[in-house]
Amino acid sequence: MKINFLIGILFLISSYTAQIKGVVQGVDSVATKPLKNVKITLLRAGTTVYSNEDGSFEILLGKQSPDTLLFTAKGYRSDRLVVTRQDRFAALNVVLVSGQLVREIVVSGGKDAHGISKLKTLHIEELTSAEFRKAACCNLSESFETNATVDVSMSDAISGAKKIQLLGLDAAYTQLQFENIPFLRGLESAYGLGVIPGTWLESIQITKGTGSVVNGYESMAGLVNFEFKKPKEMQRLGLNIYQNRFGRSELNLQGGQALTQRWHMGTFLSAATIYGAQDHNQDGFRDQALSSTVNWLQRFSYQGPKMEAQLGLLAYVDDKAGGQMSFSKQNPVGYGMAQQSQHFSVFSKTGFFGKKPAQSLGIIAQLKYQNLAGFYGQRVFSGQEKRVYLNAIYDDILGSADHKIKLGISFLGLQIEQFAQQPFVGVQLGLQRTELVPGVFAEYAYSGNRLSAVVGARYDQHNLAGDQFSPRAHLKYALTPQLDLRLTAGRAWRLPNFVIDNLSLLASSFEWQANQALLPEISNNVGASLVQGFVFRKRKGSLSIDAYHTRFAQQLVADRDSLFGVVVFKNIANNSLATVIQTELAYEVLRGLDLRLAYKFQDVRALYNGTLQTQVLLPKQRYFANLAYQTRNKRWNYDLTYSRYSAVRLPQEGSGKPWALLNLQVTRNFKKLECYLGGENLLNVRQQQPIIDAANPFGSTFDATQIWAPIMGWNAYFGLRFNVK
Amino acid sequence: MKNLLLFILLLVSPAFFAQKQAGVSIQTNAQCGDCKERIETELNQTKGVIYAELNLETKVVEIKFRPGKVNPEALHKVITSIGYNADDQKADPRAQKALPLCCQPGGH
Repeated sequence: MKINFLIGILFLISSYTAQIKGVVQGVDSVATKPLKNVKITLLRAGTTVYSNEDGSFEILLGKQSPDTLLFTAKGYRSDRLVVTRQDRFAALNVVLVSGQLVREIVVSGGKDAHGISKLKTLHIEELTSAEFRKAACCNLSESFETNATVDVSMSDAISGAKKIQLLGLDAAYTQLQFENIPFLRGLESAYGLGVIPGTWLESIQITKGTGSVVNGYESMAGLVNFEFKKPKEMQRLGLNIYQNRFGRSELNLQGGQALTQRWHMGTFLSAATIYGAQDHNQDGFRDQALSSTVNWLQRFSYQGPKMEAQLGLLAYVDDKAGGQMSFSKQNPVGYGMAQQSQHFSVFSKTGFFGKKPAQSLGIIAQLKYQNLAGFYGQRVFSGQEKRVYLNAIYDDILGSADHKIKLGISFLGLQIEQFAQQPFVGVQLGLQRTELVPGVFAEYAYSGNRLSAVVGARYDQHNLAGDQFSPRAHLKYALTPQLDLRLTAGRAWRLPNFVIDNLSLLASSFEWQANQALLPEISNNVGASLVQGFVFRKRKGSLSIDAYHTRFAQQLVADRDSLFGVVVFKNIANNSLATVIQTELAYEVLRGLDLRLAYKFQDVRALYNGTLQTQVLLPKQRYFANLAYQTRNKRWNYDLTYSRYSAVRLPQEGSGKPWALLNLQVTRNFKKLECYLGGENLLNVRQQQPIIDAANPFGSTFDATQIWAPIMGWNAYFGLRFNVK
Repeated sequence: MKNLLLFILLLVSPAFFAQKQAGVSIQTNAQCGDCKERIETELNQTKGVIYAELNLETKVVEIKFRPGKVNPEALHKVITSIGYNADDQKADPRAQKALPLCCQPGGH
């Protein structure tokens, strides 16, 4: 029975027959008009269609994804577009430029490393592996370092754990998933991004605002989906070595094999360690915690005529040891920090094709076990999590491919415990709880030539949070062939884990006061974005601006302003909000030289000490620039990234200073080998005295949580990637 | 700071070599983006090649090279050796067989 049950849930979706449609237009010196008889070829699938009288076309996407659409018409420059199965909802608007008008337009045949898909209804920023190679380090949180949308910061000066923020809100408010499977939830949300290696990644999709209801109820600020390398498409053997100046070493080994014609297997192994104890600022504390991590991902894929499946397992162990230089396991004298976590999960996605091409059924299943134990000084913490997740999605069309519908049911079973000792007052905080959450959802998608919309809602019955209804709507309208307007609105919620979500606040002597009832956090989010594509001096570029506003109907905040030396956890209703405005310019300045400039303004406030105040440790403004150059023969890549952050607010009326980060990397590409050499924090910015009262770690004012800039100075690293295709 | 500038200069310098160059255009039978990548990578990694770019529409690869280091015959050979036709020279049949499905003749 048990085994049958296990086999039953070892299944899930991937992708189905997809139809891509759109309109081809031509622009010459006179006007823009629909083009007929444009040859449209799907390069990998090898199918060809011709556009109709009104420029419209439809083409079936083959089994291979992503694929490239090539548009050719007499008298016009050809263009190409990379499409994936996710593009089946989109209406393409392709504009070909007359050969007479422009002699040469540089349309790159390769993929853009970074961009907002023109095809999708939702505002989705896509990062590809070319983007991750720009800054070759190391784990998932660091893969956002060449990106202005997601901020990466350190959560405390002792563990060195890095956290990400989207729309000015902590990662806990962003739904993370791995190929549409919930990922790094629960106990892992505090440190998981720092554990999973970045070399596994194929791409990342960042959705701002509430995502699709199909993926669940938790995407309050946004949704980040990680796509790992697929067994069928990945390299036969890949080896990556990394070493930096501060004693961090990594070794990654991965490879894909064909088991039979239909079955493929991918193996990913990774070992990472930080072994050099350093104290550059001479405060007696290690600037970074020592660590050792071992990761294993084994995945299988099956592609048959009637179904597709992805199965796999993920396991890791991660150990960290920080604190005073004098402290060690053998000799536990002084202030120490340790954290041990173990993870094991199995997942499956199965997709069954229906009789009609657009019909399919997908089932996602996941089982996870997570264990956590450790301490900051005398403050011992522990946690354990067991999770079962099921999601079944039925896809169909209503009449024509313009109207698509998804219906589904989901179930989450979760047992989670999390505890933190309060040695000063002799209390243990935390809880053990069981969550049972059955849910249903429906989503309708319309795609016309200029207008596309996705409207959905889900209803979840939570045994602790009660019944929750989450409606969401997304709309895209092409104002001109090059200018897209997107609007989004939606509701999302989650049940907070106050110990885990604030684990790094244990790195201080401050007492935690948490005596309120456990309430769900609920937010409403609205957003709008404009993306203008353009051609200037024969080179492509894009300009975008977007604004998102999140308003919490209910939020659990950690208030550090009410009482000195105390962190007060309290539920606040209708008194916290986040507004984020971002604008970004991307342009190929010279052949091979890509420039990206961005500016972001974030206003995140909540009720602290009775007044609506800016959230602590969050910069209000960020300037960002990235310059990437690839030589014409693709042998060399140069990447320069600059970020400038404004001063942050500190608890109790303090403030930080503005600071800037400059990173540079050079890559030399050979046939099978890539070598890279890079520098981080080249302006050598360091926060002075990152730990308050470091001399008295057991005194009442000790605080290592007020971190807003790097602790360590400039860093240099090198590495290599060896690939056999 | 001075060290930093020196470091940057050192890293950027190989990009700015001036060199004597010649060009050649070779007709291939590339069919898809995969073919393009294979041919370009192989040529770009050949000694003496300054750069190579393949136009998928015409299937012509344009190569700039240093005449003292490599010659057009050798470049033709590079292309045939990895399984593609180069002008009137036929692809190495063994290498051609090893190409992915979308690069096989008629597989497109």
